[in-house]
This record gives sequence, structure tokens and C-alpha cells, in this order.
Amino acid sequence: MENLWSRIEPLLLSVERPSRYIDHEWGANVEPAGADDLTFCMVYPDTYELGQANQAVRILVNAVNATEGLHASRAYLPAVDMIERMREEGIPLFSLEEMAPLDVFDVVGITLPHELAATNVLEVLDLANIPLRAAERTENDPLVIAGGPCAYNPEPYAAFFDVISIGEGEELTPETLLAIRELKRKGASRTEILRALAQIEGTYVPSLYEPVPGDEIAEAGVCVRPLDGAAPRVVHKRIFEGFSESSAWEPMVVPYVEVVHDRLNVEVLRGCARGCRFCQAGMMYRPVRERSTDNIVGAVSQGLAETGYEEVSLTSLSTTDHSCISEILSRLNCALVDTGVRVSIPSQRLDSFGVEMAGLVAGQKKGGLTFAPEAGTQRMRDAINKNVTEDDLLSAVEAACAAGWRRIKLYFMIGLPGETDADALGIGQLAQAAFDRMRAATPKEERGSLSLNVSIALFVPKAQTPFQWDGQIPKEEALRRVSLAKSALKSRAVRISYHEPKTSFVEAVMSRGGREVADLVESAWRHGARFDAWSELFLEEAWSKAAEECGLDMRAIAETTFAPGTVMPWNHISACVSPQFLERERRRADEGITTPDCTMENCAACGVCPTLGVDNQLEGRRS
Amino acid sequence: MTGSRIFRLRVAYQLKGRLSLLSHLEVTHALERAIRRSGLPFALTCGFSPHMKLSFGSALPVGIGSECEVFDLSLTDYVAPARVLERLQDALPEDMRPLACEYLEENAPKASCAYPLSTYEVKLSEALPALPVPRTITVMRKKKERELVIADFLQGEVKCDGDAVRFTLVSKDTGSVRADAFVGACLEELRTQGKTPPRVMSITRVALES
Repeated sequence: MENLWSRIEPLLLSVERPSRYIDHEWGANVEPAGADDLTFCMVYPDTYELGQANQAVRILVNAVNATEGLHASRAYLPAVDMIERMREEGIPLFSLEEMAPLDVFDVVGITLPHELAATNVLEVLDLANIPLRAAERTENDPLVIAGGPCAYNPEPYAAFFDVISIGEGEELTPETLLAIRELKRKGASRTEILRALAQIEGTYVPSLYEPVPGDEIAEAGVCVRPLDGAAPRVVHKRIFEGFSESSAWEPMVVPYVEVVHDRLNVEVLRGCARGCRFCQAGMMYRPVRERSTDNIVGAVSQGLAETGYEEVSLTSLSTTDHSCISEILSRLNCALVDTGVRVSIPSQRLDSFGVEMAGLVAGQKKGGLTFAPEAGTQRMRDAINKNVTEDDLLSAVEAACAAGWRRIKLYFMIGLPGETDADALGIGQLAQAAFDRMRAATPKEERGSLSLNVSIALFVPKAQTPFQWDGQIPKEEALRRVSLAKSALKSRAVRISYHEPKTSFVEAVMSRGGREVADLVESAWRHGARFDAWSELFLEEAWSKAAEECGLDMRAIAETTFAPGTVMPWNHISACVSPQFLERERRRADEGITTPDCTMENCAACGVCPTLGVDNQLEGRRS
Repeated sequence: MTGSRIFRLRVAYQLKGRLSLLSHLEVTHALERAIRRSGLPFALTCGFSPHMKLSFGSALPVGIGSECEVFDLSLTDYVAPARVLERLQDALPEDMRPLACEYLEENAPKASCAYPLSTYEVKLSEALPALPVPRTITVMRKKKERELVIADFLQGEVKCDGDAVRFTLVSKDTGSVRADAFVGACLEELRTQGKTPPRVMSITRVALES
């Protein structure tokens, strides 16, 4: 492989934080690819600071490198200043380990972590001199594979990828790469390889599908259908069945530059069955699989010893739901005494048990606590299946302040299906009630240091959820409802901040769009859109110009509400949650009926276990 | 922890190759993590958020390498210096390799203020018989331009030996001149004399003195 270092090095003194581009971190792979290895470069379509911290990228690079005959490297999108310098000098995007141009790899993988990364995918491909569209690639170009959360509605990205992997990649990615290696050795053409890959479960090859004419969609039940027998009608997600038993220690690179979540991450469980109706993660990572206490505690010790990190985070969608969380935290506290290592839990369960668990890890230093009631009124919380009451929240903040916390953050969503002005006002009222309770639970002389931050995000309808048929409310309406929420606040120590509706709007377009949205993405990128998730770099104009150019009505894509059961652009992709379950949950939302968590109560018949032939795997009784 | 003894060590290490592109803060984080990996019995500060007791030598600008960086490490138990060195070497990459370590007297000054004098060696793209030194240099301090008199910071002469240039700068409480800025100003002076200055190939800190 060509090594570009001698051309990259001279640029590094003129760009910010050059240590992002030098490789050589502790734990970085130093084994070169073998002559017979299939070479794979895993790309995170944003800067090193975000990508190096990404657990999925880490897992996949490790899984591929652990497989005989395969070799994986890492690449990230450089920051804007470096990109400009690279373009000036004609230097293509490079892998870190080999400093090799991306287009010499056999396969390039790009993860789709969120809806605002689409234009960055094109920036990656362009900077790598890889044709943007799969249809334009030739036998000499790498195969370009996507995966990650946004693959659950792959259509807006379909034109840019040769292959899209659905679900967990621990086994699927090495399996896919081994198949490519075998086929390449036999001299198979690109088309032959793609047709063979479509046979692997969890694999979507967009070029083997065609759009269904509008008037046939309802009957066909899908918006795109296989051209012939080479591809399945519906692609079901893959899961990693060995997750629980596999080691919770995931070897990692220790970065030099400070990255987001700059700490040891130990994934304690996967999946969440609480069943919040807006939540995509809650649908796509089912079933729930817990790792054992011994596995987790052992992984923390080994991970700390091998990385030298001073903080460990126990990650998952709902860590305090682990059936053995109390035992895990107590054992870690014993193991870590006098080491100065902090343990953190990403977010707190909304009850006094959550606060108790937070207390176990906080030690003497009480930073802030974060809770997510999501909606302001009981009616709305029942509609979204957020099974918490006002009393749960108030007793949680009371317990927190009594235990010494002074800073609390609350997350809410605005624009949820069926929301009324009363629900928007309710956000402010609930926040005010929470603050009043915080004051009451705090000694008089310390009340001055109390703060409550309320963060409001605009609801983004997500594929594969019960709310996938519901439109987003217009930006202006979102701002009006935020001011309603604000009007219900009396205390100045309660601060409301809200996420920019204009970026949430693009998220909704990417979340719900079909194949036609690929043109929009490419046009927006040509008008300068990239790093859309960085509010200071987001170019609203690029997207509106693109919409005009493509003749697409972005508002219709984001804001139209369809009858439950309507065939959506992602109906040929399945998270293994049945369509009937999604429809039933959508109906129950209107009726205000909640559905229990199947890890604590009865099975909700979501369909995941029978479809995949698996079960929830719990280490003990949950409560 | 009252009454328990603290054993303070000074460790010298190099910063070479690509790792000379690390910022001072990145170097300190990397060292702290390496000390944790080494398994040495490091001492922690007391208080709400205990952290490792460390003291670092003066900051090295991004892009400058070194043969003589130092940091002070406090241990709660005595470990033979050779053993400390070995453990740290195992926990650090070659480009950040620890070179020596020794225990400090109880009242020895901290690494951060022990060595006001730094000697640098610059490699140029071609040999120079001599390098002209301007009288003043303009530096940025807290987003404001400030003019410093070079004689206040340059200790001794600037020595040229083929394509290598050596000089010693002193850092003061009131401020200091960065080695890369100093070389840049000298090369600029050469340009004002109508000559084409050579390019800087590398800058290395080669000695620290008290």
C-alpha cells in the first residue's frame, strides 16, 4: 500500500490538533496486512474526536482483525482545515494505520451513526476519490458498505452504497468480508459478488431492487422490490447471539487528543424493552441481553489496566435496568477504592432507585444528574409509553437533592404525536414543580446553588417505531410550543434550552425519505453542506437550494402524517419487530394505554424473539 | 494520609517522531495514563476529586521534539529507580521513551520550575555560516501582540554548525519566547537582508538547565 505520510506530515503544523492524524496511539494495531488478506477500512463519517470514541467502529475493527484472512484499518473525516489543505495538495483521504489512500482497500465500510451524517458520507467518498454512486463504480473501486442505526431506513443512502448491513455487525461484517475474499479469489466480478452477498442474512444490496410504481405499493407492501430471485423481499436484521457470553472488555485505542466520551467504555447490556414509542434504539436492539457481573467487573479491571483510563462508563441504553446493577456497582466500588478512578452511568432511571445507584458511583463529588421524562403531562407520557409518573420524577429529584446533588437536567421532546398546548405548557409546569421540590429538599443556605436545566428537542419520527407514520411539526410551531413551555416557568434558576429545529427538520427528512432523497443529499453536498451535525457549520441554504433543484418537497417528507399501516419506504427492512406490533402500539398511543416492559412483566408480543429464535437473556430478576 | 511518606521521583523522557506533534496537555494526559498502566503505586491528591500527584516540566510547543523532557511522580511506596524506569518504559511508546529516573530530595524544586534554561537544536534545509538575531520579536499573549527584547531571553550566542543551529532560551515569570518563533524571526531577519532563508526541518530541545 502506498504510504502518504511524507506528504501528510508537512501539513500538520498548519492545522489544528495534528495529533488526530498521526496514528501511533497506545493500543493501535501495528500488524501490517498479510499478502492474502482482504483489506477493509472502517470509516466514521465525522472527525476523529467523535469517531475514535465510537463503540461500533471499535467493535467492528476488532472483530475483523480477529478473523484469519482479514485486515481492518481506521479512517475518520479530517476537520475542515485539514480537508482544505489536503484538497490543495491533492492528498486523498487516508487510513490511519498505513497512511494509505482509501481507494486501495478492497472494502470501505462507513457507519451511519445519525441522520445528519449523510453529506459527510459524500465528503468521505469524494475525498477518497471513490465515485459517489455505486452505479458509477468499476471493478477497480472498493466495495462500499454501510451499517449502523440509519441503515434501518437505508433508502436515502441506497444510491451511495454497494451493500448495506442491517443490525449487529460482530458476526455479519467478518462473514461478509470473508465471502468477498473467497469470491475475489475465484475472480468473481463486482456484480457476481453483490448477487452472492445478497444471500447473506442481514444484507441489503440496493442495486438488486427497483422502486415499486406508486399505485402498486399498497398491494406490494414495499416501496422497493427485488429485481429477481437473487435478493430477499424483506431483509431482517442480524443480532450477535453470543453477546452476553462474549467478553465485556473490548480492546481499544487510547487517543492522544481529547475525544468525546474520553474514558473506558464497558457495554453491560444490549437492548431495552421499555418500549418508548418514539425510540428507534428501543426497537432495533431487541432482545435484551445482559452480561454477567463477573464479566463486567473483570472487564473493568482489565480495561483500566490496559488503557490507563481514569474513568469508566458502564454503557447501554438503560444501565440501571441491569438486574444485577447494585451488585456490579458495589463490587466496582470495592475494586476501585483509592485508585482515583471514577465510574459513570450514562443516564439515570427516573425513580429513587436510579438516584440510589447514581449515589453508589458518585463518591463525594456530586456533579449533575440527568433524567428524561420526555413529556410534560401524564396523558402524553402514557401516549409515548414512558412508564413514569410525575411522582416518580418528583421523588427522584427530591432524593437527589437530599443526597447532595444541586444540578439537575431534564430532557423533553416537543411535537410528539397528539401533543396539545396543555402538554407543552405541562413541560414548564413539571419543570417548575421539580424545581420547587428540589428547593424543599435542599437546606436553605445551599439553595442558591441549585440549578435545573431543561433541554427540549423536536420530535423526529424514526423508521421502525410505532411513531414512524407521524409527521414532524413545522419549525415555527415548534418554537411556539417551546415558548408555551417557557411561559409556565416562574423561577429564574430554571433554564430552558432547545435543539435547533432546522437541523431536526433535516433529520426528519433523512429519517423518513425514500430513494429520491439521495439526489437531495448529493445536491445539498454540492451546495456546500457537510458536517450538518455541527450547528456552526450547518448550512440551511444548501438544503433548501437542493430541494428546489431536485423538485422535492422536504416539508412533505418530514411533516406528512400517514395512517398507521401505510407502507413506508423502509418496509423491506425489518428490525424483526412485527408490523402488527408497531400498528398496535400506535393505536394504544391514541388510546393512552401503556405497554409493560417484557423484562419485568408479560411479553408484549413484539415479534423479535420468535422471528430471530432468541429470548431475553437476564442475569437475575429485574425490578 | 497524614504521616505516610511520599516518594518523589523525577523521570526524564524523550519526545520524538510523530509524537512531537502532541500538545503539552496531550503529553500530560498520555503520561498520566501510562503511569496508571505501569501499575506503579502512584500517590493521589486528597479532596473531592482525587487526581494523580504530578508535576511537568515547561511546555514544549507543538511540533518541537525533545531529548530531555521531565516530570515528577509521587509514589506511596519505594520502588527501585531501575524498576520504575522499566515499568514506565513498558507502558509508553518508543517515541515517548523514559530515559532515566531518580528520587528527589524532599525540598527539591518541582519539575515545573526547576529548569528555566532550555537549549534547542534546529536542523535547517541547508547549511548557514551564521544566523542574524533581530533585536526584538513580536509575540501573541492573550490575543494581544507584545514586543519582547530578544536579549532578555537569549542566553549566550546562537551557534551555527553546518545545517544545525543551537541556542539557549531562558523562560521567566514575566514570559518566554518560543523556540520556533525565535528561529522564525531570525530567518525573517535573513530575508530582510535580501537572502533566501533555508527551511526549518526540525527543532529539538536538547538540554535543560537550572
